[in-house]
Amino acid sequence: MNVANKSYPEERLERSPDHSLVPPCQSACPLHMDIREYVGLVSQGKIMEALQVIRTGNPFPSICAYVCTHPCEDACRRSQVDKPIAIRALKRFAVEFGGDRLIGAEAETRHKEKVAIVGSGPAGLSCAYYLKKSGYPVTILEAHSELGGMLRIGIPQYRLPRDVLDIEVQRLTRMGVEIRTNTRVVSLDLLFELGYKAVFITIGAHQSLRMGIEGEESAGVIDGATFLREVNLGLKPSLGRRVAVVGGGNVAIDAARTAIRLGVKNVSILYRRSRAEMPAEPGEVEQALEEGIDIKYLVTPTRIKRENKRLTVTCIRMELGEPDESGRQRPVPIKDSEFVEELDTLIGAIGQAPQAPSDFGVRLGRGSTIQVDPGTLTTNRAGVFAGGDAVTGPATVTEALAAGRLAAFRIDDYLRHRYPLPGKEDREKLSGDLLPETIEMIRKIERVEPPSLTVAARAKDFGTVELVYGWEQATNEARRCLRCGIGVEILFQDKCASCLTCLRACPYHVPYLDASGTVRIPADQCQACGICVAECPAKAIVLRKPFDRRQVTEELGHTVKSLAEAKNKPFIIGFGCQYGLFGTGSLARLWRGAKAGVWIVPVLCVAKVEATHLLAAFETGAEGVFIAGCGEQCARENTIYWVQQRVARVRKVLKPIGLEPERLQVFALGAAAEDPAAELDRFVEQVSALRLASVIMGEVKS
Amino acid sequence: MIVAEQKPFEEIRRMITPYERVLILGCGTCMTVCDAGGEREVSFLHNALRLAQARSGDVAHTFSEYTLKRQCDPEFLELLPEKVADVDVVLSLGCGIGVQAIAESFPEMPVLPGVNTSFMGMTKESGVWDERCAACGDCRLEDTAGICPITRCTKGILNGPCAGTKKGKCEANKDMDCAWILIYQRLERLQQLDKMRRYYPPRNFRTIPRPRRIVTKAAVVTGEGDG
Amino acid sequence: MANSSFEEKLGSNKFVVTTEVGPPKSVDISEMVHHIELLKDKVDAINITDHQSSVMRFPSLGGALLVKELGGEPVLQMTCRDRNRLALQADLLMAYSRGITNVLCLTGDSVDVGDHKEAKPVFDLDSVQLLKMIRTLESGTDMGGNELKAAPRFCIGATVHPEADFVEPQLVKFDKKVAAGAQFFQTQGIFDLASLRRFMQYASQFNVKILAGIIVLSSAGMARYMNNNVPGIIVSQTIIDELAAVEKGKGLQKGIEIAARMIKTIKEEKLCHGVHIMAVGNERVVPGILEAAELVNA
Repeated sequence: MNVANKSYPEERLERSPDHSLVPPCQSACPLHMDIREYVGLVSQGKIMEALQVIRTGNPFPSICAYVCTHPCEDACRRSQVDKPIAIRALKRFAVEFGGDRLIGAEAETRHKEKVAIVGSGPAGLSCAYYLKKSGYPVTILEAHSELGGMLRIGIPQYRLPRDVLDIEVQRLTRMGVEIRTNTRVVSLDLLFELGYKAVFITIGAHQSLRMGIEGEESAGVIDGATFLREVNLGLKPSLGRRVAVVGGGNVAIDAARTAIRLGVKNVSILYRRSRAEMPAEPGEVEQALEEGIDIKYLVTPTRIKRENKRLTVTCIRMELGEPDESGRQRPVPIKDSEFVEELDTLIGAIGQAPQAPSDFGVRLGRGSTIQVDPGTLTTNRAGVFAGGDAVTGPATVTEALAAGRLAAFRIDDYLRHRYPLPGKEDREKLSGDLLPETIEMIRKIERVEPPSLTVAARAKDFGTVELVYGWEQATNEARRCLRCGIGVEILFQDKCASCLTCLRACPYHVPYLDASGTVRIPADQCQACGICVAECPAKAIVLRKPFDRRQVTEELGHTVKSLAEAKNKPFIIGFGCQYGLFGTGSLARLWRGAKAGVWIVPVLCVAKVEATHLLAAFETGAEGVFIAGCGEQCARENTIYWVQQRVARVRKVLKPIGLEPERLQVFALGAAAEDPAAELDRFVEQVSALRLASVIMGEVKS
Repeated sequence: MIVAEQKPFEEIRRMITPYERVLILGCGTCMTVCDAGGEREVSFLHNALRLAQARSGDVAHTFSEYTLKRQCDPEFLELLPEKVADVDVVLSLGCGIGVQAIAESFPEMPVLPGVNTSFMGMTKESGVWDERCAACGDCRLEDTAGICPITRCTKGILNGPCAGTKKGKCEANKDMDCAWILIYQRLERLQQLDKMRRYYPPRNFRTIPRPRRIVTKAAVVTGEGDG
Repeated sequence: MANSSFEEKLGSNKFVVTTEVGPPKSVDISEMVHHIELLKDKVDAINITDHQSSVMRFPSLGGALLVKELGGEPVLQMTCRDRNRLALQADLLMAYSRGITNVLCLTGDSVDVGDHKEAKPVFDLDSVQLLKMIRTLESGTDMGGNELKAAPRFCIGATVHPEADFVEPQLVKFDKKVAAGAQFFQTQGIFDLASLRRFMQYASQFNVKILAGIIVLSSAGMARYMNNNVPGIIVSQTIIDELAAVEKGKGLQKGIEIAARMIKTIKEEKLCHGVHIMAVGNERVVPGILEAAELVNA
């Protein structure tokens, strides 16, 4: 049966490229992950597909799902409307429900050039993963007894469960990456002598910076990195009852929260600036406060004295003065504001630096970091590449993963004697803020915060604080995505009759007339609802992504293929909004498949269902067709009005065709008053009755 | 722009009955704008006719579709021969002009009107069109403050409102504004009420011997040796 | 010199009384004959309506002829709705030739309010142009500028609507009708004498005769119906209340009383030059009104 929608000039559409723009979340992601795509797939309940997209852009999505500092969320344009999409939590959901743990990785060795990776932090693991996938024999050399670098010895377990890390490491082993632990590399020359053709140095930044104050060497004063390493390696350092952490970064927060978990009741953080300048991730700070950690802002220690196994720490209050070169206001001590803190332990966490052995012979830069060309990660030594914290100083896991991947690609270039060309994005980046008139029309939907462990439970052990979404929570959160840059465009400007239908129909006031009188639909404002696509009388407007253009027709096609199974009558096709089907959990109640002859064609918002799609559904032989939209709960404006317009248009021709107009109905999913399943039951009955009537009429005629 | 309405589906089905291969031909200009015969409506009609045929079980027709930028110029119609080569009839969703242009360009090809061409007007709001011009050929909008009494007064009278107006609406249709009240108000605002007081003689219908023709080109004789 | 007894009376200072008879949708004209017989000697002239409310009937020219034949004084109502300028001129020639010389010039109701809604609305002329056209015929040429071998002469009138809810444009049109040659005006139904007074203050500057239109109402329901359905008519709430107050079956009696009272006041206070009584299907009650208004012709 031919259900192809002849309305689009297929040949033109087929050739039309993907004009979607790179959204801000993707631009902000060090790994450049296709976040919009996987968030969209989660909203449609397509978890496996979402995971596939995630895995394409990220070697260790499970790790990122726990520890990523999500710069994507900071860039998310939804925050201009209400709050950003909870992207990391959605990734975590996809990773856990999509079965990431079960996915194996296969890689065959195609090249003979061996590569050594010095260090097994996120950058090293990522580099190993991609090099191995490219077919190189890879050896990881790790000084510690276990792989992971900071992932294992820096990040506390409550943020990253160790089994997650172990699974990723095992995956590498299964791929055939050679692993040598307890192996500290002191000379690169030796590696080259051993036959390695390239080396990637990713030794991290483990050396804590000194506070530089009197009494720093006293017992009871330790540095943050050491403290975290000890705890992560299973030691339980004795801290006493009163602990203070100096610093405002993630390590400081990690150290303080770790202390809480070791049973310390009184934990404080001393930070020399105010909360606004704190480099630690705000969510982590929030959780620290929840756990009872006292953060003292604008305070810095000046002197430590140890007496009677206790520390007397003299602190001074600060005020913010002129901005420094980083743009932050420089803290200045306030005269005569000293005070004394009585402590058992003071943890210094004011920063870390790399410590590359001098025998490596690589050129170092500011703060002992290894100097590299940022585009190729090459050092001053041929065949030696470097990346991760060793190059940047302490940074995020995701940045390290990205560095590892970049190193792998550049090492591949180097070994294959290719001129290294930085990856080029051929799609335009979406830029610009949403306009006030657009924002005003976007429905506000509360962000679904991922559940978290109770504060009481957190103090007991190192259990993961952030929990994973349930199915409905995840799909409801995902549907908040504005789908930036994936909206519509006037693809066929030659067909545009300048009728202004799009201008009038757009709920968000996006299309406008430019000074020349040409209709423009700015990509940075379009909300991708699809109303104008269906309403454009010239069919000049299409969705920017070729897949989106075909979706409804293709899904209908899939349904028709399943029809062979449809033994039961009446045979009914329903166009259901995927947001609603999954967000309200209605899918199972509506879809009856072969058993009861009700088949659901999932669509991403019923605003995209055109009048011709409804006719095409009847053409497949359906005796009833319905549209299940989200009604009042729709994330978009005005959809139901336009759906009703199209339904009215179709009903008008159904009658002369000999099909009762009641065979086409609209339901609202998620309406509290009406259970769509009950409505569907009534509809099925109604259609059955019509069928009976037509059979009887047929008998009378014959 | 020209405003039309798609003919009732039953009428279209009746018209195509004698023909097997039907080309549904849209028009990308006025008919697109007024929702009567643009590409979207062409494919809607195509789908509907196919569905009707499938339902009736009588597979009498095959359909094809195409939308021209404009049907009312022979050059555009020259793009068609391939499309009409193997059809028996053209069902035009162009206005009455388009239908006739097709008839002129394809002497052997039957052509059917798929829309009722109704008036010249403008979009009031999405999906609503209002008549504005009667194409009388003797525009007197200068005297009537830019509001046409010939089109917008149901009687088309020229010397002021009839006595049937109530609450500013027309006696023939209570939803329709009385054009003459609008004209009066606007002339008053423009301080041109003297135009209302003038006597306007009966219209000269001689300006419209049908069919009309307008020639803008000059008659130029290009003889040899002129240059 | 007066061309008809009606014109003569308009010229005198006498209080002029006219009424109207609507032709039937029939070839049986006996009732119309009866009404004409009943009224011809009691009023100064009888209007014959021209497909009133755009409902197709026996023609006004035929009715006017009948009045003439029966010895009455007809006023031929002529609308522009159904005839183009050729037909209108031809009918005027015919009318004059048969002694019908009083013409009330109207644009005519919209076809949409009548019983042939699909008919082509002609409106080749409007009321102002019709008045002007008659004066042209009198000058010895037709509208095409062609000479008439013999020219007619008419007493022509028009209508005016003093109670229109937006009266200024109506007054502009009144001026134009005066300028076009109207000698007398029959107003739309008057229900509020204050508005008539206001109008007369304005109209008295012109040398034209004003006959106040008096509509005989038979019930509050009829009044409301007319407000909703008859073009231009606006019955005041005071009158509707007065009609609504009487017991059932006595509405017409009340309507007669109201009409007579208004006529009496108009005459006594010399508000205008006369009245035109529109009984709308109740022609038989007109003599009673005249009696009640103490206007019975001697």
